[in-house]
Amino acid sequence: MGRKIDLTTKIGQLTFKNPVTVASGTFGSKDELKGYLNYSVLGAIVTKTVTLKPRAGNPMPRIWETPSGMLNAIGLQNKGIDDFIENKIPFFRNIKTHLIVNIAGESVHEFVNLAKRLDGERGVSALELNISCPNVKKGLEFCASPELAGEVVRAVKGATRLPIFTKLSPEARDFLGVAEAVINSGSNAVSLINTIRGMAVDIENCRPQIANVFGGLSGPAIRPIALRYVYEVKKRFDVPVMAMGGITNAQDALEFLITGADLIAIGTANFVNPRATVEVLSGIKAYLKRKRYRSIDQVRGSLKVKVKLKREGIPAG
Amino acid sequence: MSRRTFMFDQTVTILENKKVNAEYYKLAFRSKELSRRVLPGQFVQVQVEAGPDPLLRRPFSYYRVMKSRIELLYEILGRGTQLLAEKKRGHHIKVLGPLGRPFSKNLHGKRRILVGGGVGVPPLVFLAEAVKREVRPLVFLIGCKSRAEVLPKRELSEIRGEVRYATNDGSYGKKGFATVLLRDLLKREDPKTLFIQTCGPRAMMEAVMTIAKRFGIEGEASVDERMACGIGVCLGCVVKTKSGFKTSCVEGPVFRFDEMEVGAGSPCH
Repeated sequence: MGRKIDLTTKIGQLTFKNPVTVASGTFGSKDELKGYLNYSVLGAIVTKTVTLKPRAGNPMPRIWETPSGMLNAIGLQNKGIDDFIENKIPFFRNIKTHLIVNIAGESVHEFVNLAKRLDGERGVSALELNISCPNVKKGLEFCASPELAGEVVRAVKGATRLPIFTKLSPEARDFLGVAEAVINSGSNAVSLINTIRGMAVDIENCRPQIANVFGGLSGPAIRPIALRYVYEVKKRFDVPVMAMGGITNAQDALEFLITGADLIAIGTANFVNPRATVEVLSGIKAYLKRKRYRSIDQVRGSLKVKVKLKREGIPAG
Repeated sequence: MSRRTFMFDQTVTILENKKVNAEYYKLAFRSKELSRRVLPGQFVQVQVEAGPDPLLRRPFSYYRVMKSRIELLYEILGRGTQLLAEKKRGHHIKVLGPLGRPFSKNLHGKRRILVGGGVGVPPLVFLAEAVKREVRPLVFLIGCKSRAEVLPKRELSEIRGEVRYATNDGSYGKKGFATVLLRDLLKREDPKTLFIQTCGPRAMMEAVMTIAKRFGIEGEASVDERMACGIGVCLGCVVKTKSGFKTSCVEGPVFRFDEMEVGAGSPCH
């Protein structure tokens, strides 16, 4: 046994025991995976999106596999905030990790209501604002302009003392503008990236493979894109980043950490391997040990870039 | 949920992977842990390749469990099953299971009528073999496209009861769908004494459920939906039931007829 490696990660007043967490919608909203791993070993758990009222979700088919990825259009199926507070949160009170509740509203007012309901709920550590779901009406609306995105964050900030992560979409036309707006409006961190809309066709019956026509593309296929967004945001803003987008193993996670991510979230990989999170965690530890690092901070943001980026940020989508 | 607390994700060695007829492959591996737990109607999530492509696991129903040997029966439907068919004895795959809600074993004295079509037949064979000590011999109605899909006789030799075939082209057994066999059966049996368990193409199961509803026959259907995780987190495989969307992976794949919406369009979609 060597010295203990320090994996703790700080974001504002929150201290995470390690940087490994999960992407919203890939880990259930309660104890769905408890038969596979001990939740307490993770840095945080991010729930599936909760909305004010129950949502049935989209018609089937909702999923389609693509090369190294998948499309999904689940449509935020969930039982609503009342059920969440009554039946889901109590489970997490006995889990020794942070609970980050992902919320989505159809209006600023709904976001505020959700935040108020969760403010002061014992067991909730932070909120993640889903202003970038590609699969519901108005899902991407708040991410469409810096003004709207900023307005949501400001309103939520006024309604809760909980730290806020804002989840952004690479589909935002003015991505850096949106990022800047949410940061200036008080978002304590940003989550990068949500899925990217894609499409597939069944050539036998000439129908889209997803009933909703478009589905959000996730998985290793989008990883390089996610990494680039993390890089651009970290380069321009002094803001903590929770990174997600196809992270499947420790190597993937380390690419994001080296690029500067504060937390890394496992998403689609949970569908393939329910123990992906714990395997990534032990892989990160093994890497630090091999490199003789004492702290994850020695890795975080250690990317060496010689060439200066010529282009001015992320171009318009 | 006790069902979830006994999950096994293991790398297993393929013992056998070969064609049993013109359409189906039989894959066998050994798993003590799985074989002790698995019940007819449940499924296993197979990871064919270790890499990211194809990304997702493929769900297969269990076909037969003999001591620690587990068999799956499948047909090539896409890239995943194509790659699986190329695996040889000694190759490795990852298997996660047992998963899902099984068929009912205890039918409270009712006579078991199994209606299977295409690759819906394997889980019913498993069920039939598991209940062979049952007092009332079962009736197994099988629908196939043609003779090429018919399983070799030895594959069904352990079943105690009556096995009848129908083929779409009439090349084996009766001409028509499995429902033709079911209608014939209902001419000589009292519907109230029967319990149907069905698995197969959606259209066939809908037809079976429509008949069951008309005759007031209870039953269970095992749905086959596109699936990603298989463990109840992605909500990609849901089916419409009378009480809203339910996951076919955790709340199914076996659903009671009276849970499903029959008639109003498709019960499965």
